[in-house]
Amino acid sequence: MKNVLYILRLIWRAQPKALMRGTTLAVLVLAAGVGLLGLSGWFITAAGAAGLAGVGIAFNVFQPSAGVRLLALGRTAARYGERLLTHDATLKSLTDIRVNLLRGVLGLPFTRLGKLRGAETLNRLIADVDALDGIALRLFIPAVSAVLIYAGAFALLSWLSAPVLAAWVVLSFTLGVAAALWWTSRRALAPSRRAEKALQAFRIRLIDMLRARDDLLVYGHLTDQGASVAEAEARLRANLDDTDHVERRAGVALSATATISAGGALWLGGSLAHQGAIAPAAAALGFFAAMGMSETVVPVRRGLAELGRILDAARNVRRLLPEDKAPHPKRPARRDEAVALRMENICFRHAGALRPVLEGFALSVEPGETVALTGPSGSGKSTVLALAARLIRPESGRVVLSGTDLATLPAAQLRAALTYLPQRSTLLGNSFFDVLTLADPALTEERASDVLEAMALASVVAARGGLHAPLRENGAGLSGGEQRRLVLARAVLRRPGLLLLDEPTEGLDRATADTVLAGLRRILPEATILTASHRRAERDWAERIIQMH
Amino acid sequence: MTQPVRRLLRRSGDLGVVSSLLWLVQAGAVSVSIAQMLEPGAYTGSPALYAVMFIVLGLARAALDSHAGALAFRAADTVLARERAALIARETRRRANDPARPPAARTATLAAEKLAALTPYLTRYAPARRRSTVLPFVILGISAYFSWAVALVLLIAGPLVPVFMALVGIAAKEASERQMREVSDMNVLLLERLSALVDIRLLDAAEHTTAQFRTAADRLRSRTMEVLRIAFLSSTVLELFAALGVAMVAVYVGFSLLGELSFGAWGTPLTVAEGIFLLLLAPDYFQPLRDLAAAWHDKADANAVARELAELEAQPETSFLGTGMPAPALPSGVLSVRELAHRLPGGTVIHYPDFDLAPGETLAITGASGAGKSSLLRLLAGLEAPEAGEIRLGGSVLTPETADAWRGGLGWMPQAPRFLSGSLRRNLTLAARPGTDHTLDRALTLAAADGVVATLPRGLNTQLGENGMGVSGGEARRLILARAAHAHPQILLADEPTADLDEETAAQVTSGLLQMATQGTAVIVVTHDPALAARMKRQIALHGEAGA
Repeated sequence: MKNVLYILRLIWRAQPKALMRGTTLAVLVLAAGVGLLGLSGWFITAAGAAGLAGVGIAFNVFQPSAGVRLLALGRTAARYGERLLTHDATLKSLTDIRVNLLRGVLGLPFTRLGKLRGAETLNRLIADVDALDGIALRLFIPAVSAVLIYAGAFALLSWLSAPVLAAWVVLSFTLGVAAALWWTSRRALAPSRRAEKALQAFRIRLIDMLRARDDLLVYGHLTDQGASVAEAEARLRANLDDTDHVERRAGVALSATATISAGGALWLGGSLAHQGAIAPAAAALGFFAAMGMSETVVPVRRGLAELGRILDAARNVRRLLPEDKAPHPKRPARRDEAVALRMENICFRHAGALRPVLEGFALSVEPGETVALTGPSGSGKSTVLALAARLIRPESGRVVLSGTDLATLPAAQLRAALTYLPQRSTLLGNSFFDVLTLADPALTEERASDVLEAMALASVVAARGGLHAPLRENGAGLSGGEQRRLVLARAVLRRPGLLLLDEPTEGLDRATADTVLAGLRRILPEATILTASHRRAERDWAERIIQMH
Repeated sequence: MTQPVRRLLRRSGDLGVVSSLLWLVQAGAVSVSIAQMLEPGAYTGSPALYAVMFIVLGLARAALDSHAGALAFRAADTVLARERAALIARETRRRANDPARPPAARTATLAAEKLAALTPYLTRYAPARRRSTVLPFVILGISAYFSWAVALVLLIAGPLVPVFMALVGIAAKEASERQMREVSDMNVLLLERLSALVDIRLLDAAEHTTAQFRTAADRLRSRTMEVLRIAFLSSTVLELFAALGVAMVAVYVGFSLLGELSFGAWGTPLTVAEGIFLLLLAPDYFQPLRDLAAAWHDKADANAVARELAELEAQPETSFLGTGMPAPALPSGVLSVRELAHRLPGGTVIHYPDFDLAPGETLAITGASGAGKSSLLRLLAGLEAPEAGEIRLGGSVLTPETADAWRGGLGWMPQAPRFLSGSLRRNLTLAARPGTDHTLDRALTLAAADGVVATLPRGLNTQLGENGMGVSGGEARRLILARAAHAHPQILLADEPTADLDEETAAQVTSGLLQMATQGTAVIVVTHDPALAARMKRQIALHGEAGA
């Protein structure tokens, strides 16, 4: 519940005016509804009484019927306004939350970033945030308006009808709705949370089964996996069935509340009228007002049905939201000057692993130098690059960048000083130019063409229709070597002082590799370059080779 | 789609209609009770009697509605389970290289989330439609019985509702289609970015990316508001019609009771009870139509899902050989391939040279890209049916009947290593078959992967990312080889086992493959790597012998 309140505060704070107005209109809508039914009931009964008494001519029909018209039209208009205002405001707030969530995800430590599964994170950003719209629209605003309506109805009914009648109507509603709320919130959470878990399991297992179909088939596990997909699906449906069950029970409780309240008002009013304590019209007013108040129950019912899902979504979302309002750090101006890199007595092991990857490792690279790390896979080449880029931190030892301890360098300054190109990269964007702007938002076409030329991509770009020709999702359709060169171009565009490259010419033939490496130096004549290399082209290109074991 | 649950749905609809009709009786009780206050003695029974009647009927309606809801939910559940199972079975059997195969994420979204749109359609829209075909007519009939004037008002106001709904429906359909497109565009954009989170961070492009996302999210919001605005407008107009209809009835009833109007009823003037009764019924004449309009979206969503399903169903089905059940391996023997031919999705037919391979022998398949090397491995694994020719192991021919047992003796190294969610141990023991005495440690040593496991954070309990995030390409390759070795297969099929590996790691993988051969496994590699091909006892070069 704490998370829900937190999210409610976020939603409210982003759009306080619109939500305030929306809530006011929501109260008006309900009030007009209760008033309309109450007034019409009173009007008809009073008219009947006047007709029976033969004084119909003297009865003032115009004021009540004008009231009925005003309330009917006013309610319709207010409802339209309320819906538009609150939905628009909520959607705007949720958009803010979504954007902040993405910012939060992007701010996670690298070790967690690499392990996120796209589909799950997408679910957080889309489905979970969607579920949050109920917090204001179907929980908070209806609850506030219901409370205000109950208070108002009590005052008016006590005045126009009888205090005992008013007390009955308002108390029965308050107690009934509160009991239903309490019961549902206790029962609905567990199944709805389990349903969400089952849904995730179902998705992941199904995607696994479809993507690794051939592996599973060859090893005779396709039917197993199929069974585990079916198990998750059955669990999902069983829990949704439970949720539906609770929802329907809650629905019965709320309908029963409305019925008993109205029926009781009819009884009480009838008895009071019989005794002559109140006029029949006032008794009718009580009954019809109770009928009108059942409208307060409708949105609460929907909110209750979603409560479990909302609570879960609020928890998931809050966990990923950055705590502070994201500060916009000023990007330090890029310096093209070269950077020196030194590592002293480094020890690193993966969390929980027995054997360290690096032990007592030391390294010194002078500004402007080109150095290649070589050695068999698993000897820690990539680990050295990741340490230099501060993707991971050493267990002991120091990494020093141009005299500054890496551990003390602010993140923005660090990213401006160096660029790290991992073994696997993903392309992002729907044209060559778009792909490159990720590295440099202020990119010009001249600069882009220049870098693409250096990466031996000019003819590839021309053959595909130029810089702005559309590319498919994640660069699909480009060959592995073309993708690698484009990724290299992207890294080079950042004009770093220190370039850390993990197998930069992977998938390129020798001639292209030589061209690309030469082009790299031409574009970044000053930069310090450290590569992890097993290819001859890269080793021949480097000025110095560090052999790792 | 709802054919098998038709009876369930009909019963649910009937209960809903009965519940709505009970309201007429409740309304009768209320009107008599109020009339009695005005004219004590004109009716028998005490206020308590009518109140109890009202409450009992109200509770009965709540129970009926709940039961009707349960039936509709059960119907939806049945349909959902069936459609999901059919979709999953069909898409799982579809060949991995079938161009009609949708991306896994799309199939998963359809099965997990989109299909769920059928539930609100069956539990909200269908009952509302059922009520709207009965209730308005019953109320019209009852009103006509008491007063032709009231019936006339309802008769005029009623048909305006569906007419207006149809008009709004056309506009809403377009807006909701635009919104659906925007939703799917944003999902694609986001998924693309979420798969490149590390790159975005490394390039310091978080601000740029969030700004792009905000633009997309804002566009989606305004599209959503367009849809909502139409929906709100339509329900407002319906409410207006209903309010006007009810107000006219109220005015007529009011003036009749005052004695100022004397037309509209049959002979005798309207009594108080009749007047109140008619007034109570009037809103319920419009209610089913308003419910129907409110559930309009459920129908649109369900239609969209049904269309998507139908499109997928219309694709010709493809399949692997056999059932996919685990089966004990066939008796070992010489693998022989005779006059094998394969038809590519484009229609080109590749003819393969004949060859034999005894247990323990090694064979390299080389040739240019597109010569059909990987297809040959897929044929040998029974993942696709050949166009012509025969594949035989000892005395058994690979057919749909023998395919499961055939695969029972296979080891498999796909070109792109892929890891299932769950621990590394689960991934490696995937290949364990009953009867093999290989321990996992031996398999890891053979593949030179024991060192890889030792450096992993939690050893065999580590969870790797989908594409092996957490290990390097060479390490992933060696883990996949260990998995194959763990199966102790009769035949190992390896697709480019040394691609993208440095010489040292490639040599380790090669020696692992050769070691498997010394243990009696027939090894077939498809490769571009001349060093690997040279280590195999025999080489077959494919020249893409295409023919019609």
